[in-house]
Amino acid sequence: MTAAPGMRDLASRLLAYEAVAAKSSEPMESPTLRVYEKVRTNLTAFAGVSAFESLAFRALMQAKSEAPELWAVQVAAGGSLQGLGEFEPQIEMDKDLAGEFPGDDGGIILIARLLGLLRLFLGEALTLSLLRNTWPGEVFDDRNSVHGRKA
Amino acid sequence: MNTQDKVKINKLPTGVPGLDEIVGGGLPEFSFNIIAGAPGSGKTTLAHQFVFANAAPERPALYFTVLGESAIKMLRYQQQYTFFDPAKLPDAIRFINLSQVVLEKDLGAVLEEITKEVEKANPAVVVVDSFRTMVRKPQSDMDLQSFIQRLALFLASWQATTFLIGEYAEDELRDNPIFTVADGLFWLRQTAERNSIVRKLQIIKLRGQDSVPGLHTFRITDAGVQAFSRTFGLTARKRNPASNRRLCFGVPELDKMLDGGVREGDSVLVAGSSGTGKSVLATQFIAEGIRHGEPGIVAVFEERPEAYAERATSLGLDLETPQKDGQLTILYLRPLDLSVDETMQSILDAVQKIGAKRLVIDSLAGFEMALSPGFRADFRESLYRMIFALTGIGVTILSTVEVDESFTEFPFSTYSISFLTDDIIRLRYVSIDGQLRKIMVVIKMRGGNHAKDVREYEITSKGVVILGKRLTNYQGLISGIPVHSDRPGMPEEPSLDTGIEHKT
Repeated sequence: MTAAPGMRDLASRLLAYEAVAAKSSEPMESPTLRVYEKVRTNLTAFAGVSAFESLAFRALMQAKSEAPELWAVQVAAGGSLQGLGEFEPQIEMDKDLAGEFPGDDGGIILIARLLGLLRLFLGEALTLSLLRNTWPGEVFDDRNSVHGRKA
Repeated sequence: MNTQDKVKINKLPTGVPGLDEIVGGGLPEFSFNIIAGAPGSGKTTLAHQFVFANAAPERPALYFTVLGESAIKMLRYQQQYTFFDPAKLPDAIRFINLSQVVLEKDLGAVLEEITKEVEKANPAVVVVDSFRTMVRKPQSDMDLQSFIQRLALFLASWQATTFLIGEYAEDELRDNPIFTVADGLFWLRQTAERNSIVRKLQIIKLRGQDSVPGLHTFRITDAGVQAFSRTFGLTARKRNPASNRRLCFGVPELDKMLDGGVREGDSVLVAGSSGTGKSVLATQFIAEGIRHGEPGIVAVFEERPEAYAERATSLGLDLETPQKDGQLTILYLRPLDLSVDETMQSILDAVQKIGAKRLVIDSLAGFEMALSPGFRADFRESLYRMIFALTGIGVTILSTVEVDESFTEFPFSTYSISFLTDDIIRLRYVSIDGQLRKIMVVIKMRGGNHAKDVREYEITSKGVVILGKRLTNYQGLISGIPVHSDRPGMPEEPSLDTGIEHKT
């Protein structure tokens, strides 16, 4: 079973947004890690460390079955992610990052799985409400999606 | 001090249907409240309803979760309720998890964390769920008392209305500092009675407000918690002055026996055994009201509304058109595990919706059977409260009751409720001249004249029809086995009482 297309699309857009922001960070951060950390901060405050850890662990297990290149990635105590640098390739920042995230599928799949679990438990409306608190509205606008799908 | 010098305490909507009435119009703003009860009693749902009813982005609600149910699971379930509006999260309602600080630090750190979040958000509402898990770690009473007092003072000074939610048993009510500090204490109970679950709510304490005392039934449906006030929300309404207006049955001879009809706002009991025409008389009463522009409610328990209306049609009475016109509601109430207050609330809602002037309860036995077994013990008391409340606002109630036919006594009701009724009409079978015939007698009419005649009647295609003159040639009619006497006939006009009230 693969990550739901809607969730992949949303994950892709979040990663694309963070890739632009990552461009100005020094040292340059992984967009996947930036998205993950924002979700972690948001969810930990909202649901607690243990709840986030459980979700993140489950999401990673699902993602690994779909993207074997994530084999080295681990969820550490507190829910932080370790070993992400092992797989994530250098992003060509000159590419147009307004649309889909140009990086490896592994990051997209991991974030898509995490968001997919959130949607499973909280429903789409509540999941998007929580994410909207962290990212600007245009990220959730379908018109910014390459596929034009709804998240 | 003048009234105008006194501080005015704003009342906030609870978001729980029926609860505003119970707490005296709404929850006092800036109050520090406890919701206590066993697991599964509805504490979190009640708090959520309050939060969703009052939170706004400019004055949000902070919902602190501690150990126990995760916010993710909580929201998964809570969003099934119709009051849950996901658009309110996270701007108007913010969930904050405190489990880490509770596990790793002391109450001082917990207070510090709450303080930090409150100062940041300036909330109108603060909920700590579950407060009990927060204070379960060993600490001295002094630490706990100091923590609660500081928390209460801090939240009040930040103008927040607060709910602490906790699993408490009733024997913990005494000597607990948290209950001393609280302005409001809401206790939710859930007990199994035979095969039914009975939920009750009690406002043990509510400072500064006149809440309705006692145990109030509540139910949790897909709309959340719904409370049913013991006073049915009618305490605040003034009782109508006694009316002298008479309401007819549309049975001319009976109306004459009643000196023109029953008095408006009376409670009338029609008692008789099976097949004596109680429901027919009740139908005629409601149809006559509609004919005079008085909307009516019929609460039926033993037959469906369609069957009730069809039977009326066979008597030449049209109950279909007034239902379509909003002049009549036939309520079918047979859910079997409802509380008496809940059932009565359905009747009250219907009465208030169409402005009913006449109400028929057909029958009291069916009504009682429709209730959860645990509530049957309260039936008389609840009936009394409903009759008092409804007649007080001018609704005339006719209840039918089946009584066992006895040839040694003349009972009016098996419920000992004749004290609840202003007027009693008794129907019964008698054995006359080798036939089982029917007689009717007005037993009681509070504050009015009525005929003392025993009249024979029949049920025809036109409903109840009283036959000829009163039966004068029989002795012992009410025994059901009269003896024929050879006295000459008496005048046809019914003889009215001379103003003496009949006590029963």
